Amino acid sequence: MRKMKALFTKKTTLSFIISLLLVVSFSCRPTEIKIPEPPSDRHQPYNFVGRKGMVVAAHHLAAKAGLEMLKKGGNAIDAAVTTAFALNASEPFASGIGGGGFMVIYLASEKRVTVVDFREKAPSGIPGEIFNDKGKIKSTGLAVAVPGTLAGWDYSLKKYGTKSLADVTQEAIKIAENGFAVSQTFSRINKDQYEKLIMNAGEGTCYLNKGFPYEPGDLFRNPELAGTLKLIASRGIDEFYKGEIAQKVVKAVNEKGGVMDLKDLALYKPVEHPPVQGTYKDYTLFTIPPPSSGGVHIIQLLNMLENWPVKKWGSNSPPYIHHLCEALRFVFADRSRYLGDPDFIKVPVEELISKKHAKQIVSQIKPDSLLDFYPFGRYDEKKNDQGNTTHVCVIDDQGNIVSLTQSINHFFGTGIVPENTGFLLNNIMYDFSRDLSSPNAVGPYRRPLSSMSPLIMFKKEKPFLVLGSPGGTRIFSSLTQIIINITDFDMSLDEAIEAPRFFSYSSQGKPRSISLESRFPEKTYEALKNIGHSIRIREAFDKYFGGAQGILILQDKKVILGGADSRRDGYGAGY
Amino acid sequence: MKKTFFTTFLLLTFFIPVMFPQEEKKVASPLFEQPLLITSAGQSAEVRLASVLAKRGELNFILSKTATPKDLENIKTLALVLGVSLKGLGAAGLDIAKEKERVNLLVEEAQKKNIPLLCLHLGGESRRGQLSDAFISIFLPKAKMVIVVKSGNKDKLFTRLCEEHKIPLIEVEKTVDTLEPLKNAFK
Repeated sequence: MRKMKALFTKKTTLSFIISLLLVVSFSCRPTEIKIPEPPSDRHQPYNFVGRKGMVVAAHHLAAKAGLEMLKKGGNAIDAAVTTAFALNASEPFASGIGGGGFMVIYLASEKRVTVVDFREKAPSGIPGEIFNDKGKIKSTGLAVAVPGTLAGWDYSLKKYGTKSLADVTQEAIKIAENGFAVSQTFSRINKDQYEKLIMNAGEGTCYLNKGFPYEPGDLFRNPELAGTLKLIASRGIDEFYKGEIAQKVVKAVNEKGGVMDLKDLALYKPVEHPPVQGTYKDYTLFTIPPPSSGGVHIIQLLNMLENWPVKKWGSNSPPYIHHLCEALRFVFADRSRYLGDPDFIKVPVEELISKKHAKQIVSQIKPDSLLDFYPFGRYDEKKNDQGNTTHVCVIDDQGNIVSLTQSINHFFGTGIVPENTGFLLNNIMYDFSRDLSSPNAVGPYRRPLSSMSPLIMFKKEKPFLVLGSPGGTRIFSSLTQIIINITDFDMSLDEAIEAPRFFSYSSQGKPRSISLESRFPEKTYEALKNIGHSIRIREAFDKYFGGAQGILILQDKKVILGGADSRRDGYGAGY
Repeated sequence: MKKTFFTTFLLLTFFIPVMFPQEEKKVASPLFEQPLLITSAGQSAEVRLASVLAKRGELNFILSKTATPKDLENIKTLALVLGVSLKGLGAAGLDIAKEKERVNLLVEEAQKKNIPLLCLHLGGESRRGQLSDAFISIFLPKAKMVIVVKSGNKDKLFTRLCEEHKIPLIEVEKTVDTLEPLKNAFK
């Protein structure tokens, strides 16, 4: 009896424990897929995963802000603008309301792609000659173009979004007020731009830590930006373009030798127009037409690559690098000859993106040597053309998509902060050509030529890839490489983004060296030298080549992947 | 008694330094005189940072990012701010070889004139790498004193070189912490 009792007790206890474990395990089982944490080595390829929606941006707080907006019922446009505002607070050195950009929007219910262009414009009083002999703009104030960012965000929100300015600024205000720990990327860029900030923003600016650059881990807060955003949220964007902020912008620009007036701001309007469209094999690509050159050039490059056995050559193989660099040199020749603001000059977009034009170029490229001359023009070299700008990708649960690239040009722009506003003014005027006969010459109300190329790619009429990157004139080269890594070299999205990159161009018809990340094998450098290229080896993960963000939509698996570049602080947030 | 006292004294003499090692960052007395010439070795933005530190430390200094031997006239100390920036080099119209040659000529001239060299590395971990390390290896051994932001010395490159060449090394947590040792290094 005692034995039975003991057994019973043991059995009961055992069953109780097992039942308890089962109950606990079932009740705690997540209803969603368990997504592994990103690896501690941020360069290790990692795809963020979602089922309903995804936001990818250059800062984790901004991506999370966008995701929260999606979860609250906002659509892709609401989330993109929320993320963009949050980036002004969390990655202020790359974009913000003192700059401009381009947005590609896919409206799922209409199966339509459209472009909102909010590129900055030259002030009406801009003189014809703004560059000095050394290629620098004569005064810091003259480098500032009329900002378009807020007008572009507001236009997109009102036409295609569902939320108010007050809704989409909330998270940015919180980030600016509460602050965040500065990353290695932020700190390094802050140190690089120290001189500019000391000169134009002063030792007391929030963009310096008591007059010194921020170290990794320091708290960065921007209460003045929070105040500016609250004003805009309550009074609308007229506060920026016609109100007190407009006066502060004009004062700050003109104190530094600029020529902006209140009318320039009041007259600024974003433009909506159809995208430029190209194809690569089974894929269709929608991206930005001029005044960005990027979209045209990506299509040109893909058109050329269609003619070569890229897959057979292999990923980052010497023949692949050689042919793409030669193609880039032709593209840069076209860029300097034909591209500019289409409101002022005729840009032969259709001719440039035609398969015929690509074949003409391909027929001239030799497999085992460089051409001496790239005959269409000359590229206006820029010494300070650094990897700047930022990119945001969003997809919502209805299938609406936004691919948004925006900038204040160089990191920290001009370094000018209008009084007590907390935001930085752009130096986009540097994107104009120094050559007064160039199609990209300076002129009143003109938009300088950009390289930004936010894009959406379709496979069999269904969205497949959303992509974009900062990186100055490397943008279209880097995006082309990422596309080829996915379509031809079968890489996953983030593998394609993290893979080593290269870049070359031509100037005055002559080839320039190939810049390569230091992760290529030694034999690749040797093979390129043997063909006749001079090479320049850069850092292993160099932000010179951009900081791409992407979303890959695997329709058959009903999975959305986010890829964020470790060359900067890219982060994805999906659900 | 005497023997015990002597033994205790010897033991203490031996153990006290072991138990309480002197911190490597202590520098007994000012080593440098003013005015100082601040220049870059690699054209990183930290050269400007050094000038702000010198200004806050109320030091008598001249800043010349691309100083040449003739700038050493009436100078009592040469401060080299180590760290390569390709962007900075480009903006100054220099490349690695030209910059190395410029700094080399400057340091040689300083040595001829018995002007001591102070080396600063203020960029932390992000201002290390193949290019910066090449400049560090060449010029740091010629320094009379080195101040480095700690994260730039994670791999102990500065510690090793300073030990090898018997150079006092001061490690600071953050750039701003450079101010005190910099001030104290000057008479």
